[in-house]
Amino acid sequence: MEFRSAESVDEALAWLTELGDEAQVLAGGTDVMLQHMRREITPSVFLHIGRLDTLREITANDGMSIGPLISHRTLATDPRIARSMPALTEAAETVGSWQTQEVGTVGGNLCNASPAADTVPPLLVAGAVVELSSTGHRRNMPLDEFLVGRRSTARRSTELLTGISADAVSPGTGETYLKVGRRSAMEVAIVGLAVRLTVDPDDTVTSARVAVCSVAPHPYRATAVELILEGSHMEPDVIAEAGRALTASASPIDDARASADYRGRVMPHLLERAIGACLHRARAGRKGL
Amino acid sequence: MKLSFNVNQRDVTVDVDGAEPLLHVLRERLKLTGTKQGCDEGECGACTVLVDGRPVDSCILPAGVVAGRQIRTVESLAGPDGQLAAIQQSFVDRFAIQCGFCTPGFLMTLTALLEENPRPEETEIRGALSGNLCRCTGYSTIVDAALAATGDDQ
Repeated sequence: MEFRSAESVDEALAWLTELGDEAQVLAGGTDVMLQHMRREITPSVFLHIGRLDTLREITANDGMSIGPLISHRTLATDPRIARSMPALTEAAETVGSWQTQEVGTVGGNLCNASPAADTVPPLLVAGAVVELSSTGHRRNMPLDEFLVGRRSTARRSTELLTGISADAVSPGTGETYLKVGRRSAMEVAIVGLAVRLTVDPDDTVTSARVAVCSVAPHPYRATAVELILEGSHMEPDVIAEAGRALTASASPIDDARASADYRGRVMPHLLERAIGACLHRARAGRKGL
Repeated sequence: MKLSFNVNQRDVTVDVDGAEPLLHVLRERLKLTGTKQGCDEGECGACTVLVDGRPVDSCILPAGVVAGRQIRTVESLAGPDGQLAAIQQSFVDRFAIQCGFCTPGFLMTLTALLEENPRPEETEIRGALSGNLCRCTGYSTIVDAALAATGDDQ
């Protein structure tokens, strides 16, 4: 197989125009190499983009811009991410090991489109938008439209993911990512849940965003749950109703890690814990703590 | 493809398939067999080497990506006279080795950790080692050896 390492984004796009789906884009390779070694993919060309440093930048304002080549390790350790998107920090910390976090990228995590992709729920609750570029063309798309199925995205074979933008948390907003696994290291999520809540000084929920992974063909935003929480004061019966709605929104499967039934049962408890953590953080943020 | 990089302070050029795992290039072409092939799928850490000082699983790293980079393997730790590095001597002194197959990977991850943070807490050591599996020791002696190498437990 041919191996090409692009020196510029334009060069990478030109090769994608030439090769289309003959090319497999390679960033860190933690997923692509396994698929290659298992012969699940058989591209003619590995198109390495890991040297495109312009895709490895973070800009933190009210809106966050995260270069798709940012590694999980950087997501887990960069103070700008911790401040503006703490749920993303928490999610990145749980991905694989130090060795794979150094190499695996957030853009790779999105394009690989695993049902269990940990970085996706935090990006969904942050309203992430992806930028897709091809030669002479660029388009933006909400992340929840980008993910279309298990290991399937809306990226065309001539396109490269060149940007990720998202909303930073503001005072009065708290967010968290919680993950259920069998152990605390090297674990693929049984359920992963991100929640971002904005609350008034009297604890009325003015905005709720809830997203989950590992319980459907692709991670998704649970809008029915969001509508139940918005306008409420998070009374116990509201949280219980939201938990039932979350389980009802999912379509989990039995697999080696857990049963579908277990996944359904654990979700309401995870949601309740996440809401408590968000409320705590939202109050602390308002007091400037 | 012709691939040039630096391994253990030595510039090398090898003719490889860019998609070939770095581990194979190190073991089969450069005969640096200290780095071990364990799971071959990025789970166990036996193949850990440092790329520009950062630990990576060489079994799932395509060789083509290391062009121009600095690689360090377990062979680089001891001095030319055979004098063990502090972390290696600490493993010997604390009985942190049984079958030894995972040891090179642990040593490389800990080398990266101690260069980044010379005095890590036990929780930081355990966190850093979460991608290195050992089926013999139960990890306690390995963590003890790492703590001893920080100078806190001499």
